[in-house]
Amino acid sequence: MSQDGNLREDTEEAVPSVDSENPEERIAARRLRIAARSEAKKRQELGDDSHEKKDIKEEARKSQHQVEQSEKRMIKLQSDGTELVTNIQVAADSRESQRRTEVEEAHRLRVEKLENEAKSSLEKFEEITRKWTVAKMKEIPQDLRDSLSSQQQLCALLIEDKNKLIHELQKEMKLSDDRYVKDLKKQGEDVDLMIERMEDQVKFLMGSYRDELDQIENSFEHERKILLTGNRKKWEQYMKERQDKELENVMQRMKRVEEYEVLLQQLRTEDAEEYNMIKIKLDTDVQILEQQLQQMKATYQLNQEKLEYNFQVLKKRDEENTITKSQQKRKITRLQDVVNNLKIKCANQEKQSREENQNLTDDYTRIMQQYKHMQKKMRHFAAIDAKKFEEVWLMNEEEVKALVEKALDTDRLVHEQQLGLAWQRPPLAFMERCGPLQPQRQAQKTAHQAISELLRLGQTSGCSLGKGKYREAGAGPEAGVGPGAESPALAVEVYESGAGLESGSSEVERESEGSGGEHSGTVSVKMVKKLLELLCDEAGFLIESKLLKLLSPLEKDEQSLMKLDSIFTAMGIESEEDVYKLADFFMKYRHTQGEQTQDVSAKWGVASPQAERGEFTSSCSPTSDLIHPNDVLVALRAFTAHHCRPRELAASHQPSMLGLGGREDTEDAAYWEAMGDVIPEAKLKIWGALETALDKYHIVLTERSKFITDTQSLKQQNTELRMLLHQYVNSRVNAELEIPPNLVMQLAPE
Amino acid sequence: MSKSPGAGMYPPVAKLNLAADPRKMRRIIAEDPEWSLTVVPLLSNLCLQCIVRNFEEKPILEELLPRHKDYVLERLSPSLPLQVTANLISDDGYWKRCCKQRWGLCDVSSYGHSWKRMFFERHLENIIELFIPDATDPKTVLGMVPLCRNYVKRLDISQLLPPIKEPQKSEDDDNSDSASDMGMDGPSMDHFDFGILLDKLSHLEEFHVVYRVKGCGMNFEWNLFEFTFRDCESLAKALKSCKTLRVLRIHQSKVDDEKCRQLVNNLLDHPSLRELNLSHNLIGDRGARAIGKLLNRSKLESLTVYDNNIRGPGAQAIAYALAKNSSLLSLNLRLNRLGDEGGQAIAQALLKNRTLKWLHLGGNEMTEPTATVLSQVLVQNNTLRSINLSCNRLGMDGGKVLEEGMCHNSSVVECDIRLTEVGQESDYCISQVVRNNQNQAHTKHNTEENLAQTSEHY
Repeated sequence: MSQDGNLREDTEEAVPSVDSENPEERIAARRLRIAARSEAKKRQELGDDSHEKKDIKEEARKSQHQVEQSEKRMIKLQSDGTELVTNIQVAADSRESQRRTEVEEAHRLRVEKLENEAKSSLEKFEEITRKWTVAKMKEIPQDLRDSLSSQQQLCALLIEDKNKLIHELQKEMKLSDDRYVKDLKKQGEDVDLMIERMEDQVKFLMGSYRDELDQIENSFEHERKILLTGNRKKWEQYMKERQDKELENVMQRMKRVEEYEVLLQQLRTEDAEEYNMIKIKLDTDVQILEQQLQQMKATYQLNQEKLEYNFQVLKKRDEENTITKSQQKRKITRLQDVVNNLKIKCANQEKQSREENQNLTDDYTRIMQQYKHMQKKMRHFAAIDAKKFEEVWLMNEEEVKALVEKALDTDRLVHEQQLGLAWQRPPLAFMERCGPLQPQRQAQKTAHQAISELLRLGQTSGCSLGKGKYREAGAGPEAGVGPGAESPALAVEVYESGAGLESGSSEVERESEGSGGEHSGTVSVKMVKKLLELLCDEAGFLIESKLLKLLSPLEKDEQSLMKLDSIFTAMGIESEEDVYKLADFFMKYRHTQGEQTQDVSAKWGVASPQAERGEFTSSCSPTSDLIHPNDVLVALRAFTAHHCRPRELAASHQPSMLGLGGREDTEDAAYWEAMGDVIPEAKLKIWGALETALDKYHIVLTERSKFITDTQSLKQQNTELRMLLHQYVNSRVNAELEIPPNLVMQLAPE
Repeated sequence: MSKSPGAGMYPPVAKLNLAADPRKMRRIIAEDPEWSLTVVPLLSNLCLQCIVRNFEEKPILEELLPRHKDYVLERLSPSLPLQVTANLISDDGYWKRCCKQRWGLCDVSSYGHSWKRMFFERHLENIIELFIPDATDPKTVLGMVPLCRNYVKRLDISQLLPPIKEPQKSEDDDNSDSASDMGMDGPSMDHFDFGILLDKLSHLEEFHVVYRVKGCGMNFEWNLFEFTFRDCESLAKALKSCKTLRVLRIHQSKVDDEKCRQLVNNLLDHPSLRELNLSHNLIGDRGARAIGKLLNRSKLESLTVYDNNIRGPGAQAIAYALAKNSSLLSLNLRLNRLGDEGGQAIAQALLKNRTLKWLHLGGNEMTEPTATVLSQVLVQNNTLRSINLSCNRLGMDGGKVLEEGMCHNSSVVECDIRLTEVGQESDYCISQVVRNNQNQAHTKHNTEENLAQTSEHY
């Protein structure tokens, strides 16, 4: 086994170790080992004669080889021995089986013989019995005697036969008895032989086992010796190496020691010299110091006296200090009392003021409530007033309109009937309108609407231009409803800049002209949209985080819309105008940054729309890209700085928006005036002249009417008279007359 | 023996004692490990000695410290009554002393290296072997049961005494012929009834019994060697009741067909029986048929029925069972009368069987036809390890056929063809093949061992 271990060690040196920490490595090592073993065994089996490859490994396994050979030899010996021993048993077996066959055969023969015998004897017996009957028949004594004697003979014969058989059987029995004894003896001998052989075998096996053991031991011993010598050699080699090394080390050490000794000596002498020098120096130093000590002593004396005086003085001072201290203490206690009092007072005061504060806050809340109430009332009244105003207005307007209609009608009548002129209806815009005048501001779009529109526009920017136009046109009238007379046209012009700015996409330019609400909306919608998106991205910090969370499920456009809305509210941008202002500002900001800050506010505030447009186109054409995202915040701040001032102003009249007082009544007068001025001055003059003429005409007419009545009355008289005449003519009297009047006078048929 | 100078201080009595006992002079007595300088023994030792003395009345052992226990066990007398010691003492040292005292020659290795088991087995065997029916009280046996039931694993009964005959009977026996005839219908010749014992021994695994009398010498009578029907019946019942039995051996007991059938009937479906040995009996074909039936209704691994009277039909019955069997490893039919009829049947069965490893057909009057079938078996079957055909007249031709079969075989490592009249050439060839097979098996065994070792490492 030591051999085996050795082998294992040999293999382990090169390949993964069995004792390694790593289990996989161990497994690998074991596998290798098993493979090596099986291989070795194979080689042993195959190539006992192929001794050419007798390497070190083969040699190392000599003992194992020996073991196996011995094992084989022993197995063979054992089997041979067992065979030798069992040979006896086998022989006995064969003998036994042979004996059995013989016995069987003998048994069979015997049975046969017995049967034969029985048969023959039965025949004989039957013969005898038959003869008995014959004998009984015999009467003659001699015959009877003869037959009896023959019978006797026959019986004797039968008995003899039987006896013979018995004798034979007994002989056989004796034989088999002998044989049994012989067999027994033989078996005894066999057993003895077997035991002997077994003993021999045991002895022989023991001897050979011992031999083999000796051989194996020898081989092991031999191997061990080889190993030992090898190891010893190695050991000695190592020892020698070590010895050499030690010797070398010792030599080196000696050398070093000598060196160090020399060095030490040197150092010692140097140190002694130094020591002397230092000693002399120190001696002188000591003398000097002693002198100084004397001096110091003198000064000390002096100082002592001085200090004693000082001490006295300080003592005095101390006494004084104690007195002042006590005084101060008393003062402190007094002040403490005062402080306490003041504290109490302060607490009281605080309490009072708190109560007061409470009262005041109560009052304040009450007053606030009252104020709110009042406001509500006021709003209510304002609404009612407005309603009433509107109603009154409407009523008056109706009345006035009726009057105007009447005046116009009369005018038309005058013109058409009296003057015979073609009458033309003056343009009367206000007639179409009803209700009180609305302030124009409300007509403006809010920033929110503007953005949403913009975004929508941006979305549909790919659509046909006509659509865009239509939308703009549609938006126009909406805006145009509010401002009445003073805004003759809040027109929206839609340009199609074919030669303009961008090739593929249509661009809508918007320009609106009005009294106040003119915004510099010359920026392209797309631009604005981009700007807005930029703003949305950059000014995200203005949006509340809560809102962002709420927005997350929405669509992107809607999200950006809401974000922009919140950003604008944060910045205070409310109207569309402001949005455009912002966009414009941004454009310009970018522009002006290059030229380094002109007065931006002045520029965009004063600039005429034409100029702006020009500017815009010029600014837009070179660069389609927008303000740089990084500048957005700066620009935004600048914008709010500029924008906030006007807004503050605007905020100052914010409250007036609440009531009706803010309603502009300057236009009302003009409105009503316009109503009054339906008939112009020239026409009135015409009317005056016409009146006088008509008056004259009237007089003539009245005269004529008088004449007409006269003629009528005369006609009536005439007719009456004619009637009478007729009567007279047609009377019978006439007939009696020779000359009737009718004949005389030719009466004209009426 | 010179006196030490300080000896003078001792009183004269001590001096006398010193002179008388040289041991007192020495301070160290190496050969006595119990010796100590202290003259007064320890109280604990005294107590222990007392316990040892009165162990029979008051057995105190388990309560003691291990050291004291050893002390007591060393000193207990081997002749203490078993009722006290049997279930109390488990120390092997004590039982070793008991065995040595009683029998002198003891081989503990055959008793599982347990002296206690050895003691009780041999004790019980002695009691049974000396049991005389009707004369001995069965209580002597039954009394032992509670004491030894936990330790007895094997019973090897080497003789069973018949009941003592009445003096008148012995007078009648003078006419030996009439006595042997009378024995059957005369008073019972039954032996010890195992029915009262076997079902109580809960650890019994092996049971060997011989119905005969040892060392009768000149008092030989045939009826001393009688295995009666009633014996058989009671034994069969007892065997059936013993569920732990693994090995059963009944030999040299004149078991004939009827008794064999009775035994087998009771052994059918036995839960643990592995080995059955009915050698040196008178079993014929009918008994063999019963055994064949038993083969497939039990878990038998080894069947030994050599030196019986089984012929062709019986062998055919066994072969029929063997063909279907899948548990039997060893079959011994030595010294029967199978003949070619039986041999061929067995060989045919081996063509189908895949478990049998050892087969002994020595001395069975088989000849060449069997050899031909067997050679076929050798070619086809590769589970058979050992085959013994000695003392069969196979002849030259049979040898050649066998040789041919062996050439194609690689599993048989033992083949005994002594005294079969085969040619030397065949003999040599067969032995060559067998040797080859042995070598292969050996190397395989070695590699397996190596593998086992390495797997143990993991």
